[in-house]
Amino acid sequence: MGAYIVRRLLQSVIVVIGVTLVSFLALQAGGDPTYLFVSERASLEEIEAARQALGFDRPLHVQYLSFVGDLTRGDFGQSLSYRQPAMEIVLEALPATIELTLFAMICALLLAIPLGVLAAINRGTAWDGSITTMSMLGQSIPSFWMGIMMILFFGLYIRLFPISGHVPFLAPLMAGDFGTAFANLPRTIYHLVLPGIAVGTYSLARNTRLVRSSLLEVLEQDYVRTARSKGLPEMRVLVHHALRNAWLPVVTIIGLEFGFLLGGVVVVETVFSYPGIGRLLFAAINQRDIPLVQAGVILLAGIFTLLNLVVDLVYVRLDPRVKLAGGRG
Amino acid sequence: MKLSTPTACAAVAGLLGAVVLTGCTERSEDTIVVGLSADITTFEPGMISSRDNANIARHIFASLFTLTADGEHVPELAHTLEISDDGTAYVYTLSEGLTCHDGESLTAEDVAYTFNRIADPANRFTGNTPGFVFTSIGFESAEALDDLRVQINIAQKNPIAFGLMTEVYIHCKDAYEAMSLDDAASNPIGSGAYRLASWTRGSEVVLEKVRDLGNFQRVVWRIIPEASTRTAELIAGNVDIITNVVPEQIETIDGSGRAHVQVVRGTRRMYLGFNLSDEHARMPGGDAIQDPAVRRALQYAVDVPTICRQLLSGECERATGLVNPPNDNPNLTPYPYDAELAERLLDEAGWPRGDDGMRFAIRMQAGQGRYVNDVNVVLAIRQYLQDVGLDIDLELMEWASVYTPLLRERSMGPLFFLGTGGGLWSPIYDMTDMAQVGSGTNYTHWSDPRWFDRWPELVNVGSPEEQRSIINEMLQVFYDDGPWLHLYFQPDFYGVSSRVSWEARRDEHVEVFEAALK
Repeated sequence: MGAYIVRRLLQSVIVVIGVTLVSFLALQAGGDPTYLFVSERASLEEIEAARQALGFDRPLHVQYLSFVGDLTRGDFGQSLSYRQPAMEIVLEALPATIELTLFAMICALLLAIPLGVLAAINRGTAWDGSITTMSMLGQSIPSFWMGIMMILFFGLYIRLFPISGHVPFLAPLMAGDFGTAFANLPRTIYHLVLPGIAVGTYSLARNTRLVRSSLLEVLEQDYVRTARSKGLPEMRVLVHHALRNAWLPVVTIIGLEFGFLLGGVVVVETVFSYPGIGRLLFAAINQRDIPLVQAGVILLAGIFTLLNLVVDLVYVRLDPRVKLAGGRG
Repeated sequence: MKLSTPTACAAVAGLLGAVVLTGCTERSEDTIVVGLSADITTFEPGMISSRDNANIARHIFASLFTLTADGEHVPELAHTLEISDDGTAYVYTLSEGLTCHDGESLTAEDVAYTFNRIADPANRFTGNTPGFVFTSIGFESAEALDDLRVQINIAQKNPIAFGLMTEVYIHCKDAYEAMSLDDAASNPIGSGAYRLASWTRGSEVVLEKVRDLGNFQRVVWRIIPEASTRTAELIAGNVDIITNVVPEQIETIDGSGRAHVQVVRGTRRMYLGFNLSDEHARMPGGDAIQDPAVRRALQYAVDVPTICRQLLSGECERATGLVNPPNDNPNLTPYPYDAELAERLLDEAGWPRGDDGMRFAIRMQAGQGRYVNDVNVVLAIRQYLQDVGLDIDLELMEWASVYTPLLRERSMGPLFFLGTGGGLWSPIYDMTDMAQVGSGTNYTHWSDPRWFDRWPELVNVGSPEEQRSIINEMLQVFYDDGPWLHLYFQPDFYGVSSRVSWEARRDEHVEVFEAALK
């Protein structure tokens, strides 16, 4: 297994470098970023001076190779707009996004599993129909629209939850300031409710359908029939025999979904003025702050590939039939 | 222990209730909250370039003189200014007893340090001060004459140097010498009425009062990029002032009973430019607009007041030139909308309608998403021009990456839509867009000697009356034969809570020194 992990980690490095190249080229394709860093009244000479100061006067391949060279020394470069180490800024924004993503995912899972089970064991009934319809709706509604609707209803009309903002929990926790972290916790959750729902609705809908279909498939297997014919109570059949096997596809999706949500919260973070990594990267892309975008992309790509690896390893633990390629399982 | 369903539901509801109750906090009466649309990136005085960023910095850093809402420069850190006879040395005398936020005395040496530090190429600053102010005034050096007197040296006499110098944020030498550039960007040690208490990137900036200027102890600047979210926060009472209200939400805010919208005629001059470069003269329609008679005819073709009323949510008076009222030429009256006259003048200029009903084809370029309702305004202008027989090939472009590079190269057009920032404190400041034929802001390549040959005279003239007379003559030329199809001064929309009294300024400066609770 050790060799497998090392090989996968090496592959991850190649993936991350590929991602940085693609994002670098995509940002460069948008034109010369210098214009965004100078006064609107700046003359051509002033623009040229700024171009040199920012390093955009060098050929593209020199800019990129210099960036990769710095990367190997652990230097992610300076943000052009903040004038501070790019990775430091990204890491500063990451805890807020992890809070949002975890909150959304936990809420989605806590609801998706019982709803999926309920729909599966009541297949073809009104329960099943309602849950399936709601799931389809949940997958169809754009998150930004849902966010705005929730702001209007819960934030403005009944004034139950805050419209925007964020109160940090993870950041003080990681800094060892447990007092502040736990004092903040209720307000953190309070601020997470609306964006969490906006982010988590799609995940809830998809996981509900996944649990339902996976469980339906398992319920028709021979070993479930055998368990029933042995006279086991239905609940025991469901929990110990069916659900355990229905987990496999769900676990795969959950792992990947965390990464998906992490990178996909841009719109919701913007609507709710939530200071996370999505909004930071969105602003950085608009500002063509290439080092900042690269640092964010590397971090997200790294987390995503790592999650992939973790999912594969968990899969092996859950299903003894699965063997790792090249490993001994 | 097993929980029954009702007990579990009650527990969840209780928890939710506790979260809601704990989360709700009362607004403090000594705090004012401003909602901005754009994120801020730095507190480094040499790097600040956006208006939102400058608005916050203005509360942290003081200037030698400051600009009032009426466009008047009044003393701030300095109380007097003497200018040498040749106009190249500005000697400011500072008030006594000034300090920076860390308690360090603020002397002439600190002011000189501020200017020299921002200009130092080793720091590679690219903000508004080094990138525009210093190059415009030809800054050369600054030196302390004694504890209270500082001399700023510029290359040559410049009638707007004094006004531009008020945009330099003064900071203290010892504090900034002890800081790295990274530290200076996020931990400003200013000289203004408020100090930075906290900055949560992408979320909010909190300032605390240190000098007795301003009615609120704390100012919170919240970054709320989404317009509808800003409006919701204002109506919900969580924010006192918001910037950049979109016109479609004015009715909602005014109808809420909790806030209202203040509309001010901004200083940004919106116009349709005629690119008169040789390169554009060879393009279709480019030859036609070389003729001042054609340009003048087209002034009558666009109904600007209707555009304002229908697309910008208010009445406006059409601009007569590039200078903001009240500094404009009072003898000029805005061109009226008269499509028939426009058609007749185009006929007389030698561009009659052809068999297809069109006079000439021409390309029109515009960026989108930069100005208030810009796309609809551009579409309306195209329609008006088509109505008098121009076959307009409209190209709407993404602002930052596509239109801005064209702008900097002065190669958009032959027709192009643009708005450029202006001011209230000097007509010459507004006119400097066209200081030279080759100026970076003369996007039109206009080269009329009746305008450009007057500049040396304008700069060196003795009395204000003579200067005013020259300005009026130049503005008359610009009105008659200039390279702009005059549109309007862009209105700015601010949402203001009923809780506070605050007046929006025309120059896009958001200052809360005079804001107060009602």
